[in-house]
Amino acid sequence: MIDLVLALLSGTVGGLLIALMPRCGSRLRNVVALSSSAAGAVFSWRVAGAVLAGRTIRVAGMNGGLPWSLHPDPLGAVFGLIVSTLWLFAAVYSFGYMAGEERQRTYYTYFLLAFSATLGVAFSGNLISLYLFYELLTLVTYPLVIHERTGEAMKAGAKYIIYSLSGAGAILIAIVITHSLTGNLDFAGGALLADVGLRTGLDWLLALFVAGFGVKAAVMPLHRWLPQAMVAPTPISALLHAVAVVYSGVYGILRVVYSVFGHELMGQLGSSHILPWVAAFTILAGVVIATQQDVLKRRLAYHTISQLSYILLGAFTLHPWGLAGAMLHMISYSTLKMTLFFGAGIIAKQTGKVKVSEMSGVGRQLPGTLTAFGIASLGMIGMMPLNTFWSKYYLMKGSVASGKSPLALVLIGSGIVNAFCFIPTVVTAFTGEMRQPVAEKRLEAGLMLVPTLLLAGIALLIGLWPGLVWPGVDAVVNRFF
Amino acid sequence: MLLMLLPSIPLLGAFTLLAVGDKDVNMPFVVSSITLALAGWGLRGVSRGERLTYTLPFSGPYVPTFQADVLSAVFVLLAAFLWWVVSIYTPEYMKKEGRANSFDISTLLTLSAVLGVFLAGDLFTMLLFFELMTISSFFWVIHRRNEEAIRAGYFYLFFSIFGGLLLALGIVFITTATNGLPALGTDPVPPLEPQIFAWGVAAIVTGFGIKAGMVPLHLWLPHAHSVSPTPASALLSGLLIKVGAYGLIRTGELTGWGLQWGNTVSWLGPALTVLGSCTMLVGVIAALLQSDAKRLLAYHSVSQMGYIILGLGVCLCLGNAGGLGLIGAIYHVINHALFKAALFLGVGVIYVHTGETNLYNLGGLLRSFPVTAVLVFLAVLGITGAPGLNGYASKTLLHHAVSAAAETGLPLMVWAERLFVLVGVGTATSFAKLYYLIFLGRPAKVKISGCESRLFHVSMVILAIVMVGIGLLPGLIPQALAVPAARTLGIKAFAATIGHLSFGNANDVVSALITLGLGAVACLVGLATGAFHWAPPSWLTLEGLGRIVCHSLTAVCHGGNESYQSLARLISRTGRAMRFRLLSAYRRMDDSTDGALGDITPPGISADAALLMATLAILISCYACLHLRLPSLRLPLSFPGWNIVEQMLN
Repeated sequence: MIDLVLALLSGTVGGLLIALMPRCGSRLRNVVALSSSAAGAVFSWRVAGAVLAGRTIRVAGMNGGLPWSLHPDPLGAVFGLIVSTLWLFAAVYSFGYMAGEERQRTYYTYFLLAFSATLGVAFSGNLISLYLFYELLTLVTYPLVIHERTGEAMKAGAKYIIYSLSGAGAILIAIVITHSLTGNLDFAGGALLADVGLRTGLDWLLALFVAGFGVKAAVMPLHRWLPQAMVAPTPISALLHAVAVVYSGVYGILRVVYSVFGHELMGQLGSSHILPWVAAFTILAGVVIATQQDVLKRRLAYHTISQLSYILLGAFTLHPWGLAGAMLHMISYSTLKMTLFFGAGIIAKQTGKVKVSEMSGVGRQLPGTLTAFGIASLGMIGMMPLNTFWSKYYLMKGSVASGKSPLALVLIGSGIVNAFCFIPTVVTAFTGEMRQPVAEKRLEAGLMLVPTLLLAGIALLIGLWPGLVWPGVDAVVNRFF
Repeated sequence: MLLMLLPSIPLLGAFTLLAVGDKDVNMPFVVSSITLALAGWGLRGVSRGERLTYTLPFSGPYVPTFQADVLSAVFVLLAAFLWWVVSIYTPEYMKKEGRANSFDISTLLTLSAVLGVFLAGDLFTMLLFFELMTISSFFWVIHRRNEEAIRAGYFYLFFSIFGGLLLALGIVFITTATNGLPALGTDPVPPLEPQIFAWGVAAIVTGFGIKAGMVPLHLWLPHAHSVSPTPASALLSGLLIKVGAYGLIRTGELTGWGLQWGNTVSWLGPALTVLGSCTMLVGVIAALLQSDAKRLLAYHSVSQMGYIILGLGVCLCLGNAGGLGLIGAIYHVINHALFKAALFLGVGVIYVHTGETNLYNLGGLLRSFPVTAVLVFLAVLGITGAPGLNGYASKTLLHHAVSAAAETGLPLMVWAERLFVLVGVGTATSFAKLYYLIFLGRPAKVKISGCESRLFHVSMVILAIVMVGIGLLPGLIPQALAVPAARTLGIKAFAATIGHLSFGNANDVVSALITLGLGAVACLVGLATGAFHWAPPSWLTLEGLGRIVCHSLTAVCHGGNESYQSLARLISRTGRAMRFRLLSAYRRMDDSTDGALGDITPPGISADAALLMATLAILISCYACLHLRLPSLRLPLSFPGWNIVEQMLN
């Protein structure tokens, strides 16, 4: 129980410490940032381990009639595990990336506050806590989006905040309606609306929830803030806009589907036949648009939009295999996408090249980076020795087993488009002519390269031995089915 | 443990090379010698019917397993042998191509992958090594780094990735249908859901068909095989496409050869028969029209894979009665690997010394390269099916199988038999052309540099000895390996009744000789009339069709993107216009001092009215659709005035 509180507090304390030390050196700041993310990671691992082992960890109370509760179940524990592990990598990468940048204090403060907020989303035990942390996450990540303070960044920030807050508004309405229907918002028991049964209007309640959380999950057509938010520094794009923030939206939808509605009630709703196709459309459209982008980070952003819907697709199949695929994809996609973003960041930082069309010959300057990038792009296709193969396999299995075989074909088609999206970049990076050789030869910065390679290595390891993460996936599936 | 060890040794070798860089040790030779010896020793018991298995102690959804039955042993030994022979040849050859170290690394990785595929005990492990093979052999194809090589590499990579994805899809279908992962090399499990199972089989056959160069999925093959360095071409044509054949044989095993469970997969046999026949025919016709020696050989690989697929198709059609087709197919896999490798190596020798692979620029090289000429002649006799060499043996078996099938009176099989004979003549024609244009004919004006290396000859002589050996004792390999393999694969009844296979049949010998003669005559006619220079119009070739399809797909994609963009633009513009309209209306209300709404103009009125009506329509439709009967809201909040809102809501 104390672990739970400490996990949430460590990010906040670290962030506030950094905020209160305006004139400290970057070394001390890095130490504080690293130690508080490490502490957060260790405590949340302990929490997750205990939850997955079957113990109950709960901190709850009333606040003026408003019940709040921190009570992670296996789904929250897995989400917390992913987030806290990746935060460590992103912190180390940030030390390399942000060295010499302006406004480091602001950056690290909000970077650590966002850690707490995301863990709060993961560990919250009822809809109200979830909503509060979800809103908080929007607010503390806004300064990170506008970090550059350029006109483009301010515009992107405005768009981000408008989209997110309107989504949250929809969620609030939906929460009120849910509460009036059930009088209970706690996730601990079975699905909230299971006792209410099928009645008119539930489809619209679901639509409100999905639209609200779908903003952060970047479901088309609510995705337009995400590519613009890529003006943020690369560690932020990698961690927040490929993993933490967007995952909180995905996590919200998973909660709504399995904890609020429950798969039995969902199966009776008419929308359960539409939603997988919305996800399928986003998968295909996102990756097709990605192939058209020349700026690498924008390409990655559209690709994120496509990949997030893999998880939603798995959730919407309402089948144990599909949910297993969704959980596996949450785990595997995050490692690979961080690798891709980290690689893009190193390329941009060391050679100044941000466009795909300029990448020719970069691989010979940055062999380690491009190797990791290549491994990750093979993973995005869903090739066998990488962890995404397993998620794709279970997603397809869930689609077939729930009688929606065409969805499996959508996943195959998306795999091929993914190949067109990244493979040529990697190949020309290694084999192409170097158009403008960089005069100043800088080595690959270790602090950035090591997390990148480690993440690619983790992806390979999980791909060869999916049993490593299987207990978590299994626990989530058993929790809801 | 041994099964795990076999793929790991080349992997270790590759990592050593990667770590220490170029040393004077011929690492592929060392590694493949060890592998060959180890495989020969370790798998000696397998032909007696033992089945070795090894399971890695992993937990979770994926437990890697390895197994070796007779079929695996045949392919493993063939692979190790071929790699060993080619690695003798490689160092000398790569002096011309350069970047020998990276070539050796991908050679070793590919060996590891190939052995892994053959020793895999379940479909996941097979797919794992299959994908590794795709990646590692991709580096072979792009070895020359020029534009042509890169384009061929993309072609190869994208086709292979598609194949891998289809295999994954097939595994999904099959595991869902059988409710578990079927183990390879064991008796097939009847599916619980036959329909899904059939889809899975179709996906897997297509996936392996891409690797096997099955028409119309062979398009990548001629490009990839002709641009890669010659040792790689030899291995690609000799062995890598056989991985596809291996997969097809295993699929046949999974389906119980198509006949055990009613109608679910009974379409597979006829389908493979048709596809095999088409592959034979398309390959040989395209080969006849080539002017580049390596492309000609590559198209013949397509054509010869057609023989193998046809053999499998016959076996799948007739079940036990067609067992000869399976045996012939396995036998032809071995023989084709030998003579196709020898042919590529021979052409490679010519390339090293003349820098030329275009047939029409070569000629009269018999004088300069006497040893190579003799060795290539043996290989040509092998592939055309001349009696006394290995190709004759397996082609005779396949011909017997197809003739037996044709006797059942199925029109499909009757046509397959006729095509079989025709393709035999075409092959003879094409190789008469190849040999005539390179070694005979009038001497060409190419510059010949250097003298023939001894190592080139050693590797080709080894292949020639094996080929002649098989030709002289044609019954040895079928009795020792192919028939036991068929027995363990499930063709039990047939394998038991087959006493001995006859090869010296007078009819067969005479027909083989007639085929050769016809081929030589056709070659002379073709050379005299210039028929080999005919370039078919693009819509007639598969590549042209593919290009047309690709272009139209690109156009559709582009159009889709364009229309999406314009739609998005339209929506955002409309939204902005409406917002502006609304804001200006409010502002006018603020600005007016006398309550009048500014200038009243007809367009202004209609726009305002339209806005109003649109809003109303949206509200009404929302209300009509929503029909949200809100129950009494009871929030745990209490703030002043809330009860008023509550009453209003109720």
